[in-house]
Amino acid sequence: MKVTILEWNAVAAWRWDMPDDDVCGICRNPYDSTCSKCKFPGDECPLLLGECNHSFHMHCIYSWLRQEQSQEKCPMCRQPFRSVSQTATGTNNQQNAAQGNNTTAANTPANGTQNGTA
Amino acid sequence: MFASKRLSKELLKLQDKLPPGITLVKADNFEEWQMDIRVMDDNPLYKDEVYRLKFSFSQSYPIEAPEVTFLRTPTTPIPWHPHVYSNGIICLDLLDRQGWSPVHNVESICVSLQSMLTSNTKKERPPGDENFVRYNTQRPRDISFVFHDNQV
Repeated sequence: MKVTILEWNAVAAWRWDMPDDDVCGICRNPYDSTCSKCKFPGDECPLLLGECNHSFHMHCIYSWLRQEQSQEKCPMCRQPFRSVSQTATGTNNQQNAAQGNNTTAANTPANGTQNGTA
Repeated sequence: MFASKRLSKELLKLQDKLPPGITLVKADNFEEWQMDIRVMDDNPLYKDEVYRLKFSFSQSYPIEAPEVTFLRTPTTPIPWHPHVYSNGIICLDLLDRQGWSPVHNVESICVSLQSMLTSNTKKERPPGDENFVRYNTQRPRDISFVFHDNQV
């Protein structure tokens, strides 16, 4: 028997390059989940890594840094919070497409489930 | 929204497991909780006593600190401490605007207060307690405390 493949759909999943059991210190949601205000994880609700090596959901750390009382310090170590890059880099299970700053095809399952099958 | 999500997570954890000497008394909503704390060592100032804490959360918790005070009830007195006024208001930097950090939580505040008490040896009220208690009309979060004492 001969099988001709007419079409195939590739599905890729990606997640933040963070330990599995770690949560954002501000909202206590997992890094792979969203901050308390967002619905969709991934590029919609990215992580921010500080030079002090502490990371948070970007929305969480911004709402803290916006407060005058924060004195722009990291909530964990109270050093001045400076982000390492604009966003943390995602690791890609399939290909090295996700550089964290660009939406690529691999990022499509950003619809609530990280392992969504399109 | 922000506060309720975070608080529901904290509540699940508090209902599951708590450090020694800390118990959850009341958490019927996401505005006010009550916790009981005991000092775990033999400090004679606090031995055999239980203290009730009242936590009030704003919508922006944990970006904003909760308001935490000791609550006098028939079974729970206000502990003696040079930073605790006799109306239950607590002068502690981590509860103030300047000292708060959103990584703190209800449990860590309880632990900090336990250790604040256990390290104290003075059966004292803060200076000016009587006047403060009589005339203060401000909410704890609006009082500007001056943190001068690094000993306790």
